[in-house]
Amino acid sequence: MALPRLQFITHTMKNLSIAPVCVSQVRAMSRVKRRRSLPPFWWPKSTRTMYPEHITSQNEDFLLDVVEEKYSSPLKVDPWERGTFKERSMRCGLIARKIGIYPMWTKDGSRLLTTLLQVSDNHVIKYIPPEEHIVHGLKKRYRELGAVVVGADPIDPRMITKEYYNIFSETGVMPKKKMSKFLVTPNAKLARGTPLYASHFRPGDYVDIAGTTIDRGFQGVMKRWGFKGMPASHGVTKSHRRGGTIGSGGDKARVLPGQKMPGHMGRERRNLRGLKVWRVNTQHNVLWVNGPAVPGGVGSYVYIYDSLLPHRKHTEENHPPFPTFFQDEEDIEEELYDEQLHAFHLPSIQFAEK
Amino acid sequence: MVGVGARSGAARLFGVLQGLCRETWGCQARGVATRASTRVLPFIPTQDPDVIRKVPHDFRVVYPEFLPNPVPEWRNRLREKIERKDMLARRSNMPIPEFYIGSIMAVTVADPNAAGKTNRFVGICIQRGDSGLRAWFSLRNVIDHQGLEIKYEMYSPLVQNIEVLRLEKRLDDELLYLRDALPIYSTFPSDMETEILQEGAPVPVNPIKVQLKPRPWHERWERKNLQGVRDLGLPERFYKKAKLHEKPWEKYDLMKEYRATIPEEEQADIFREISSHYPLLESTRRRGKRKRVLPSLS
Amino acid sequence: MNQAEIRKLIPAVRVVINAKHRRFSNPKGPEGRLMMMRKTVTELVKLERVELNYQRGDEARGYAERLIASAIKNGDCHIPTMEMANYWLNEKQLVHKLFKVLAVRYRDSTESYTKLHKAPNKYPGFFREKAVLELKGNPFPPLEPNNSSRNWIHNILLEEAHQEYIKKKLKEEETDN
Repeated sequence: MALPRLQFITHTMKNLSIAPVCVSQVRAMSRVKRRRSLPPFWWPKSTRTMYPEHITSQNEDFLLDVVEEKYSSPLKVDPWERGTFKERSMRCGLIARKIGIYPMWTKDGSRLLTTLLQVSDNHVIKYIPPEEHIVHGLKKRYRELGAVVVGADPIDPRMITKEYYNIFSETGVMPKKKMSKFLVTPNAKLARGTPLYASHFRPGDYVDIAGTTIDRGFQGVMKRWGFKGMPASHGVTKSHRRGGTIGSGGDKARVLPGQKMPGHMGRERRNLRGLKVWRVNTQHNVLWVNGPAVPGGVGSYVYIYDSLLPHRKHTEENHPPFPTFFQDEEDIEEELYDEQLHAFHLPSIQFAEK
Repeated sequence: MVGVGARSGAARLFGVLQGLCRETWGCQARGVATRASTRVLPFIPTQDPDVIRKVPHDFRVVYPEFLPNPVPEWRNRLREKIERKDMLARRSNMPIPEFYIGSIMAVTVADPNAAGKTNRFVGICIQRGDSGLRAWFSLRNVIDHQGLEIKYEMYSPLVQNIEVLRLEKRLDDELLYLRDALPIYSTFPSDMETEILQEGAPVPVNPIKVQLKPRPWHERWERKNLQGVRDLGLPERFYKKAKLHEKPWEKYDLMKEYRATIPEEEQADIFREISSHYPLLESTRRRGKRKRVLPSLS
Repeated sequence: MNQAEIRKLIPAVRVVINAKHRRFSNPKGPEGRLMMMRKTVTELVKLERVELNYQRGDEARGYAERLIASAIKNGDCHIPTMEMANYWLNEKQLVHKLFKVLAVRYRDSTESYTKLHKAPNKYPGFFREKAVLELKGNPFPPLEPNNSSRNWIHNILLEEAHQEYIKKKLKEEETDN
């Protein structure tokens, strides 16, 4: 039978680290828990139960003034030394919100769809050096890496628990709604409270994006696995969108694990590799990234990293701003376009006569 | 509390809190796919006392693609703002004239395979759709007894020029029935000259009633309430069946029509935002000074 | 397709609405759903305060707001608005009430015309989210008590803290100058 043989092949090929693209991967992945209904037990509870407090509007304004004043001036910290780029350096990523999709055109006239991602108020929350960074089961090659925790989107400090608030007490920025850890080489370390902007990426860079896909709920086998179903007429009884046979019978005498069936589809973490950044707007902190397939709906959070693809690695001659682009100190144009991209303020594309 | 346009303390921080209260976000954070629909907050117009410019009453009809897609799950104010800026940048390079369904237009596109590297097509606009940079329209013509329809993206940089040869409206919103009409109604000469309208005159409505070919058709035109076709001449059973499919209550469904539109205040806000480009936009509406030639058959 | 409808200019509804309509499964289908909404809107205009299930109230609220808004905007000589009012209000005296009483009452209002209160549920029993939908400015006593919290201890303390904060700010400014 074809299937066991394939499994045998993938087992021996594991050491060669060639990823098998075959149906046995689905069967192996069927046991993995893909969604969690509760946050991990080690996370602190972030929001507190809000009760109606009947505060007068004047007092409400006063409280907001106090909160704003507290975060108006950044913390005075000694600036950390800024590392320089070396081969195999990894710098931190960004947390962005997907705000939409619209078409753009390249200079030779071909149309492509771009996803707009807004890097909303990112700040570094803390840096964890490699010695202190303990993750159970981390691969050997990642053990020399530190971690930078980045936070996005401020939240009113009155709405959160004390434990959650204390995470941000030394950063000098308002507590964040969303946080993520990015593995970095020690030379890419960043001080607490450093703002991160969309200019961290340049047009022409390639990025990997991780996000949670749209929740499609309980879906049938046609939408979930792409089964073809059965004809609408010609004597087909009650089986127009069903899966048909689920086993081969005989020796196996059971349903194999990983059998594709209806079930919950979506709300999973997915990574998209090697998306090109076509355009950057530094005023609104928006990135235009290739393709419409960024996981999640409009308004969902995504995590953007420098691409890990071997052909997209940065070199010392052409490396991105390292450890990040300090937009408060340096000037940058408002709109940056990739060389191949046709910016809308340019004249129409015309093909030259040979 | 003071009107929301004023930057009161609550408005300052509140705009930052609560998931940016003006937006509607999908239910991504929920444990399981919820059937609960997203809640759409009421639109609060930004009070802009400096811009007292009046919005021309027909802006939404002339520039419908500046209005965003009303589906709340896909809306984002910042992205719409950036998109409109890009649209205006494109229009400053390639002016897009005012046109309606039923107008006869000529579009020149850059084509690497054509002689002279450009391709010009004349046709009647039968459909237009989508908003923002995806806005498109479809032109139909019959050339050498072959019906041709070409869909053009209005903001594509390959489009060199869009001319409106005859600016007029028809009795219907979509002219897809021309596919089933006699070819004479979709035939327009490629060397048609521009018919110039009088300055300030309203857009004429062509009351023509098109004659359809005998059945079979692409669609059941008897069910579509078409104004611009002659009596279809079908047996009674077609009209009986059509009546069963009618939904006469839909025209009274106030919320259905509301969900399909952008509210008046929001439209005014959007057009006020691009008010600095009015002179550029107005100049592309191009109405000449000479009187118009009487319309021919089609 | 994927385009906003431009044939009509509709004023914004001033309440929170669902992105999609609620289906309210009905033997008559979509027409039955609209007839159910009509009944609720008629009752609301007639009685000015109705007790019903939350879902029905929330859905009917949108229709009531739109009806009143179009009555205010267009007045009673506008034929499409009259036809709409004629459809939505099953009793014909209520059409007069809509144009002569409600449109006049809410003519200068910048807020919503209705209020949807959450109502308590009868316990024990099957849980249904109950609500009370009422027109603002109705002649009945208010449903929710309007307790001003200005004299509550925490507000008084916060006011004092506010005064101290202002004094501190002024002192700092003086020392700066």
